[in-house]
Formats: sequence, C-alpha cells, structure tokens
Amino acid sequence: MKQLRIVMVGDVDAGKSTILGRLLVDLGQVTPAKLAELESTSAKRGVAIEYSFLLDAFQLERDQAITLDLSRIWVRLPQRDLVFVDAPGHRELIRNLLSGASEVDAAIMVVAADEGITAQTRKQALFLHWFGFSEITVAINKLDLASDPKRAYETRRAEVEAFLAELGIQARAIVPVAARSGDGIVKAGPLTAWWNGPALLDALTGIPSRVPDPTAELRFVVQDVYRRDGKRFIAGRLDSGTMHVGQRIVFWPLQTSAEVTSIVNWPAQLDAARAGQSVAIELNSRIFVDRGAVASAVGHGPELGRALQATVVWLGATPASEGDSLRLRLGTREIPVTLQKIEHVVDHETLEPRPAETIGAGEVGVVAFVARESIAADAGFEASSLGRFVLMRDGAVVAGGRVDAVIGRAKGEGATNVIAMHSSVTAEERARRNGHRGGVFWLTGLPSAGKSTIAMAVQRMLFERGRHVYVLDGDTLRTGLNIDLGFSEEDRAENVRRTAAVAGVFADAGFAVITALISPNAQDREAARAAYPDGFFEIYISCDLSTAERRDVKGHYKRARAGEMVNFTGVSAPYDIPENPELVVDTVTHDIAESAAALLAFIEERILV
Amino acid sequence: MTRAQLPDDLEALESQSIYILREAFARVEKPAMLWSIGKDSTALLWMVRKAFLGEVPFPLVLLDTGMEFAEVYAFRDRLVREWGLTVVNEACPPESSVDQSLPPAARHAARKSAGLRALLERERYGAVILGIRRDEQAIRAKERIFSPRNSDGSWDPQRQPPELWDYYSTEVPDGAHVRVHPLLHWTERDIWRYTQAEEIPFVPLYLARNGQRYRTLGESNITFPIRSDADTIEKIVAELAATHEPERAGRAMDGESEDAFERLRAGGYM
Ligand SMILES: Nc1nc2c(ncn2[C@@H]2O[C@H](COP(=O)(O)OP(=O)(O)O)[C@@H](O)[C@H]2O)c(=O)[nH]1
Ligand SMILES: [Mg+2]
Repeated sequence: MKQLRIVMVGDVDAGKSTILGRLLVDLGQVTPAKLAELESTSAKRGVAIEYSFLLDAFQLERDQAITLDLSRIWVRLPQRDLVFVDAPGHRELIRNLLSGASEVDAAIMVVAADEGITAQTRKQALFLHWFGFSEITVAINKLDLASDPKRAYETRRAEVEAFLAELGIQARAIVPVAARSGDGIVKAGPLTAWWNGPALLDALTGIPSRVPDPTAELRFVVQDVYRRDGKRFIAGRLDSGTMHVGQRIVFWPLQTSAEVTSIVNWPAQLDAARAGQSVAIELNSRIFVDRGAVASAVGHGPELGRALQATVVWLGATPASEGDSLRLRLGTREIPVTLQKIEHVVDHETLEPRPAETIGAGEVGVVAFVARESIAADAGFEASSLGRFVLMRDGAVVAGGRVDAVIGRAKGEGATNVIAMHSSVTAEERARRNGHRGGVFWLTGLPSAGKSTIAMAVQRMLFERGRHVYVLDGDTLRTGLNIDLGFSEEDRAENVRRTAAVAGVFADAGFAVITALISPNAQDREAARAAYPDGFFEIYISCDLSTAERRDVKGHYKRARAGEMVNFTGVSAPYDIPENPELVVDTVTHDIAESAAALLAFIEERILV
Repeated sequence: MTRAQLPDDLEALESQSIYILREAFARVEKPAMLWSIGKDSTALLWMVRKAFLGEVPFPLVLLDTGMEFAEVYAFRDRLVREWGLTVVNEACPPESSVDQSLPPAARHAARKSAGLRALLERERYGAVILGIRRDEQAIRAKERIFSPRNSDGSWDPQRQPPELWDYYSTEVPDGAHVRVHPLLHWTERDIWRYTQAEEIPFVPLYLARNGQRYRTLGESNITFPIRSDADTIEKIVAELAATHEPERAGRAMDGESEDAFERLRAGGYM
C-alpha cells in the first residue's frame, strides 16, 4: 500500500524530533546497537538519552540540539509505511519547512504545553493553510512539565481549536503526549492515563495518501522530445486525468492539436496512461511540440492569459518589490515575468491582509504578475499541477506560489481582451486608433507557387483600404537581415525564426504582416507561431511540383535539376505540406486575382475589430 | 512485450524517478551517471533506459578502486554486453592522497570521492546522477533530490536550496555541479520488490550462500556480509520486513566515529 507522508511542524524545541525518535524506539525499530550509540552520543554532550539525535544527524544539530534541515524517517506498520518529514521550526529555515510540506500528505503540529501557540506556530499554520491542508493532527507535548497534565492539555486544546478555526483548518485529533517519556505516542502512559482518545500513532490511521487524480482534467506536462529510429516521442508525465491511444489532445499555449497514436512505458506499449504516470507518446501529425508545453483534452484546457493573480510565500533574502523581474516556472515552462503589483501581505499575527510595499522572507503575499508570453495555468492547488509554481531570481528559487486567477482572456477565445501590460500603449489602444488589429499571415509553399506575387497584390489592396500592412519577403530578407544564412536545414530554421520574430514585432505594433517564405519545415513553421501566438495564421499557397516547375519564375528549378543548386526545395530538399493550415489558396485552379481576393477576405476578417 | 502491471506504489516511485531523470537531462548541461553496479544504481540504470526509450543518453561512470568483488566486475561485463552499454572506468587515486585524519575505512572510502573530484575536474560534468536513498543513512535522509555542490565538490548542508514540489534547482555556478538523486524516496525493500517485478538482473552476492549474504556491496576490503538465509528475492523482501538492522551495518566506514559519514559526505562522498 502507498506510504503516508507526514510533515512535523511546530516551534523550535516543541519536541518534534523527540516524538519521532521516541516513535521509532517504542515501535522497536531501533536496534540495541543503535540505542547504545545514541546513549553514548547523548552522554558525550552531557544529556540523558536524547531521542532527537536519531533524526538530527549533523554534528552541528546535535551540538546545538536543534534541527537544521529536513530529515525523513520511515516507520513500518503492518498496513503501510509512514514517512515522517522532520522540519526545523526555526524562523530562518522556512525554506526547509516549505520544502517538506510540499512533499507530504498530512501534517502534525506539535505544541509544547509550557509554551502554547507561539508566533512561529501561527506562521507555520498559515503556511499549512496556504498549502491547502484542510485538516491536521495536533500533539500537545511536554505534559510532564505541568503540575496538572489534564488541565494543561485542556487549556492548550481550547487555544489550538480557536486558532485553527480562525484559519479554517480542522483538527483531526488533538492528542496529549509527553514525548521524552513516551506517554501517548504509541500508547497511553501514566501522564495520559486519563485520556480516552487515541495515542498519536493511532490518530494517524485512516489518513488517506494523496494520489494523482484520474478524474481530474487531463494535464500532460511535456518534459522533452526524443527521436528514435526516425520517430518522434513526446516525453512527459500525466499529472492528472487519463489519456488513451486514439484520443485527440490539445497542446498549450499554442493550442495545436493532434491524436495520440501510441503511449510508451518503454519497452511496453500501453493503451492508456494513468494519472501520475511518466510516459512517452507519439502523435498522428507533426505539429510543433516542445518542453514547456502541456496537453489537455479537447475543450478542457487550462486558462490562458498574459497575467496571473497569485498567492506567494517569499523565500528570497532580498524582499520582493513591484517592478521586479523574475522567472516563472510553471509545469516545465520557464518564462520571464514582472511583479506588477503587490495587493497585500497576510499578517501572520492577525491573519488579516495588510497593505505592503514589499514582501519579505517568510511572508505570504497576494500579487499580480505579467508575462510577455501567454501562460497556460489552472487556478488553485487542487485543480491540477498547473496551479503551483516557483519564482526564480539569479538562478535561485525565491518563492513558491499558488495561482489564484489567470487574467488576460477567457478560455479559448481569440486575441480579444489581451492586456499588454508590458507596454505603455496597449494592443487595444492601437487597434482602436488603426481600426484593426495586427496579425501574422504566414504564406508557405513551393518555389514559384505564387507566394510573393499574391503577398504583393494583397499588400496593395490592404494599403488602398487604409490598413497598416507590410510584406516580409524571404528573398528580400536574405539580402539583409538573413544575409548570413544559407539553405541547410539549420539555416532554414533560423531564417524562419528571425522572420517570425520580426513579424511578431510588426504585428505587435498593429500591422497586418504577410510573410512570403518557402518555410518548408512544418516544425519550423509551428515554432514561428510562438512569435505571435494570439494572431498567427498559416496559409498554404498550394501548387503541385510540375506546375511550379513549369512556371520556374527565376530559372531555379532548371539549375537545381542540372545540379547547379543544392538543397533546392521540391528537387533536392523536402517540403512538408501543411496538415492543418488556416487557409489554403490553390494557385493551380485560381488565377492571381482570385487567389489575392481570397487572401484579402481572409485577412480582413481576422484583423477588423 | 508486456509484463504484469506494477503495483501502484512501485509505479508511482518509478514515475517520479523517471520524471527526475528527464528533468536532469533537459535542464542540466552535460550530466553523467555513477554506476556502482550495486542493486540501487542498477535499478536506476534500468529506469534510465525506460526514461530514454532504451538509450543511456549520458556517460556511465564506474569509480574504480580496483577493490570491487570479482562478481561485481563480472556482472558489469555481462550487462555491458547485454544492454549495449558504454562504461567509463575511472581509476581512483591511492589512499595516500586522501585526508589522513579520517578513520581508516573512511579513508579508504574517500578514494572514491577523490576519484570523482578528478573526474569532474577533467570532464566538467554539470550533473552527477546517483542512486542513493534517504532510508539508507541519517545524513542521506537530509539530502535534496537536486543537490548543488560547491566548485570544490563539497556539500553545504546548512544552505540547501528550497525544493518545492517538482521544481528542482539545477542552476550552479561555473565549475560547480549538481548531484541528482532520483532514488531518494525509495526504500531498500522497494528496490528489491521493483527488481523482482521488473526482472532486473543483479549481482548474485546479494543472495545468501552458506548462511551469509551481502546487503550492500562496497569495496571487498571494507564490506562485510550479514547472516541470512535469504537465497531468493522473495526471501530478501521478507527478511527486510522483519529486520531493524541498518542496511549499511556491513560498511566499516559508517560506524568508525560519530561524524565519519558526515565528514565523508561534506567532502564530496556519494
Ligand atoms: N520535559 C520534556 N522535554 C521534552 C519533551 N519532548 C522533548 N523534550 C525536550 O525538548 C527539547 C527539544 O526537543 P526537540 O525534539 O529537539 O524539539 P524540536 O525542535 O521540535 O524538534 C529536547 O531537549 C527534548 O529532550 C517532553 O515531553 N518533556
Ligand atoms: Mg527538531
């Protein structure tokens, strides 16, 4: 049966490590030799047997009698293993506590009877709440120090109940213990003889392990793309939902879709992947997919937007301020973001929001980020793995976060209300002044198919109508921007990438951009989409090879056939016919005027607001 | 090629390890994996092949002191042949070159850290993938899955980075590297159950002969067998369910002094 992972929280010295040490000893899971060693290391430091040393293995931890970093111990029970994550209670060591809390199913909060709920306990409980723990187990420890253990317990119990109620956390059980003497840990002892409830260990039975949710939305997080024997495999993990062969899935943020043709857990072929499973899949089409993408079922995608509202726990030594440039890691995607606004910080004493200029280490804050690219995310920890993220600065993790809302535009809509917060002029404003939106109209086709001719004709027509329009022609760009590029596969890819980037900038500036490049590689074209994902349209200028060759506007086919030109598309280099272009213009069955009219109508429909 | 489906708990462990391996490969430049040829790193190597569809896409290094058991070398040669592996045999420097203030067996074990340091200096690997587990040893219980090392290879356990969910720290300064521990969350028993379910080959020394077997395989001069009648994997799994003897009891260096293992690890030991 799956193990249950439990994190120990509580202030320094509340007795977390001692409880765990005692648990191991009382369950007979420490050998006599190890016990003897424990006695001698304790004696060496002038203390009676110190059970916490079973966990606190570093010399410094033993010398100072504190826990510095997370430790884990396995407790073997007949039904299942319990894995306890012992976390330091120290204020400065929040990063360790949070790391521990992010890997577990449940939490035990330890409160020392003589101290009660301290500021540090409150703060830790706030983190548990933030992590979405709606239920925790509480141990009231050190009852041996109280003259009346029962009364001491009851006082603390009332305090704990009131506090947890404020946070909206349920106490599964509040158990009286004296860890050093073992009372109430595995079974009742003299100090807890009056207690009718369970011992701490018994209070843990029945807590379910968290498992990836097969009934939740399908989220397949792409880690990498591998090529084996000419086949392409998309490697990743199905974080939630189920996925089966034959299913159509959509990759975000590009929103390209394809059908799953195989699911591999090497060397086995599976019919379906289960939630939580790492697999590699093949698709029925060569759409562009790369690390950072996430797949969903059709019609059940994540939210897509350029801004996030989120609750973060700050861990960096330097506080967070508005305007900070950070890197967001969400799923396997990593993109630059700007911390646009600090809404408030949660005061850990009053648990109330309080206005703040900065978020310091160990503070919880509600913020808004903006990104230059579209982000695919889900709100909340429960929804999917796309609801949690970390922020990086200078290569180090400086915060953990939960997505509260995706701002920018609603699910699956077009480029309508994108908030371009990175610019002082929004796309909206430009569109209003120009009377139309920008967009990239990417023409692809064989040499002599008619790309440049049609592009130039349509540019003229759009210009006459007062539209902002520009043609990026492949041959023209090769005389300047792309002068250093040849026709190898890599150079062609780079040619496409640069042209796409320039097209994206023009489109951002409000232009309808028409590109006229052979762009023979389907993957390169798919990648180009990312330069302006909100309004990129692939247009196939269709013409069969023999017709194109007969036209041979520049005499290139003839030279290629004569071997004077290498890597010539259609003759000595491949051309991938678009599988799902947004528009097909057939120049064999239509003349230039008809083809241009078709493209003009298509563009007008896409750009007019 | 269909095997019976793995039990849920093992499938979850395997999936996480594969996820970690793929993260290491995608995010870190120039990773390498240490293969000690023991049960853990062989199970890990098995998962590497699963993660990368039959390939081992990074160098596989054996830190060789020349003191491994003959059976270990024979097993290495067998798997190299059967799985089509390429193994880098890295000879470790002599004992005279390591910190002489360490206790004797630890000094011997430190040859491996010295060998690793020399290898890293020469090859500049950005990541070293290792099959250690948290349940093996109290110091290892404190490890991160992605654990950055200083440029001299040392570990600074006081300053480990946060490791939230599956967001691992892979950024290291120039000349430093990150240790990647895909098996950290497995137990010894999990490894054997997995080895059995997946039919992964292993060095026969783990099985009992004449009332003795090896629970861990270190160098032949500092590793000792335990008393056991477990001559099949089933029996090993049953034995582990009952025993509370620590796994590494047969490793001389661990018990020499209270801080021996911590000092070894701070100095770059695996
Ligand atoms: N009197 C008394 N002392 C305890 C008890 N439990 C733990 N301690 C002591 O409190 C100190 C701190 O314990 P430790 O487990 O390290 O606390 P942690 O910081 O929460 O892990 C140690 O000296 C323990 O021996 C208890 O039930 N009664
Ligand atoms: Mg502690």
